Amino acid sequence: MNIRVLRLAFCSTLAAGVLATMAHSGASAGAIRGSSKQASFSPARLWDGKTPDFRGIWQVRDTAYVNIEGHPAEKGIAASRSIIVDPPDGRIPYKPDALAQRQENYRNRTTSDPSIKCYQAGVPRATYLPTPLQILQSPGNFAIVYQDNHAFRVFHPDTRPHFDSADWWMGDTRYRWEGDTLVADVAALTDQVWLDQAGNFHSNEIHIIERYRMTGADTIEYVARIEDPIVYSKPWTLRTVLYRIKESGARIIEDECLEDANGVRHHISPTDPKNLLKSDYSRWKTPPQK
Amino acid sequence: MKTVHTHYGFGLAALCVLLTASVPSALTARVTQAPTSAPLDRLPGGRPNLQGLWLKSTGGFQGLFIGSLDGTNLAAGGARGGGRGGRGAAPGGARGPAPTRYEYTPEAEAERMDRLRRGYEDPEARCHLPGVPRALDQPGGLYPVQIIQDEKYVALLHEAMHDVRIIPTDNSRHPQNYWTWDGDSRGRWEGDTLVVDVSNFNGRTWLDMAGNFVDQNEHVVERFTLVDADTILYEATITDPTVFTKPVEMRFTLKRVPADQQILEYSCLEGERSLQHYTEDDGGKKVRVK
Repeated sequence: MNIRVLRLAFCSTLAAGVLATMAHSGASAGAIRGSSKQASFSPARLWDGKTPDFRGIWQVRDTAYVNIEGHPAEKGIAASRSIIVDPPDGRIPYKPDALAQRQENYRNRTTSDPSIKCYQAGVPRATYLPTPLQILQSPGNFAIVYQDNHAFRVFHPDTRPHFDSADWWMGDTRYRWEGDTLVADVAALTDQVWLDQAGNFHSNEIHIIERYRMTGADTIEYVARIEDPIVYSKPWTLRTVLYRIKESGARIIEDECLEDANGVRHHISPTDPKNLLKSDYSRWKTPPQK
Repeated sequence: MKTVHTHYGFGLAALCVLLTASVPSALTARVTQAPTSAPLDRLPGGRPNLQGLWLKSTGGFQGLFIGSLDGTNLAAGGARGGGRGGRGAAPGGARGPAPTRYEYTPEAEAERMDRLRRGYEDPEARCHLPGVPRALDQPGGLYPVQIIQDEKYVALLHEAMHDVRIIPTDNSRHPQNYWTWDGDSRGRWEGDTLVVDVSNFNGRTWLDMAGNFVDQNEHVVERFTLVDADTILYEATITDPTVFTKPVEMRFTLKRVPADQQILEYSCLEGERSLQHYTEDDGGKKVRVK
């Protein structure tokens, strides 16, 4: 517990430092300018008249899920700039050994990405996947359901300490409101997930401060400040934007992902009629209805 | 080695339940208390407030994970167990729920008996979504469900299998050309009862670990009734004209989990290698895992 408190204190000090750094850095000036320009946006409220209303289905529009440090275009995938706003060079400040590990991961990315095994994506990766998420909310309740692999996170008030006696795929999240910004403290994450498809990774010492802030009726700015003393030489920050999916009747679609015995990932399509005709292990042939 | 389900999910989640110092026996003991006459908590708009963390309180472990809905206790060598009250017994009776009866067509009965022998082919053992009503009908006292609700939906976040059901309460229509493990749920309020119509199943799920099954003609009507501040009565009617000769009725209670406990993460690590190792001695033959 003492370590946790120290860590939190350490974080807030660093966070102040990061903000100061960002304010002076050219690379992140856009983000800061964007923030101040729209700082006046006041989100709608839940029925308690107080809590900002983040409900809806949201998704990023970039392809940072391929490589959060940025990547050129590939077949069928648009290029993406780095979503890392601090440090200003857009690179994760790996320690030397960790950087070597990342390069190794990158070389083996088509076979070693944990998402191939259908593991839950982890935090923050789940946020910028090319699949939507839905924010469920009521006064006193906040949860995010990710379409990918039907993962979800229940956000708990930060009035209680982290439940960190185990490592979780989606971490343990404690949150509070700072004005209209939801600030979430995420800990107890497993080291079995990656940050993207390019092998960027972390240890189970990772600690994340997420900030969710509506910058308009249909946009949420997502900022994650990430520290991990095992893997990174200093904390770093990524920023992305979630856009509201506005089609009427839009819903999270069931995403069933399974790894077979050969380690190959299967998605079972809910819109493929062949699904109905093929029962996994059964010889049952549905008789025609009378 | 007779345990059918050995995948990490059960082990980890069971451990987690222990870690949270869950007290299912105390919960079960309170089930038979008469409902209080205090007015129900309601949301703006007048609907009963179903929100909170809930635990299926009846049914016990049904024979250490390998019980069947019809009361067959596989762990006890197939003896009937759980509830002597028969149909019409008080829901949530301390002896467990009334046995659910399945009346199969002759062809389906043969299939069910075959599946009973091939219990290792239970899709949930491969981390598939459990379907409905199995999403809620997990072993009693083990996996809670978090309910978040507003004027447009009631969302069920199941710890078990990290299964998510976001149920719109607008009585909207089922989609076409969409078949899923959990089906498509559409809710409406009938007085103080949430009635959910579930259709569009892919026909792959089992109803339990004992081979009871449905096909894609399954149709479920669920009823959630807030009986008192700490009790939800859950009723489900399952029809499937190509499997059952008459509808299957099921009911049990959900009890509110004390506020000092929280939902935890369930991880079912796919690609269950152990399934390949079952032999005739374990109640089955070596199974080909696709």
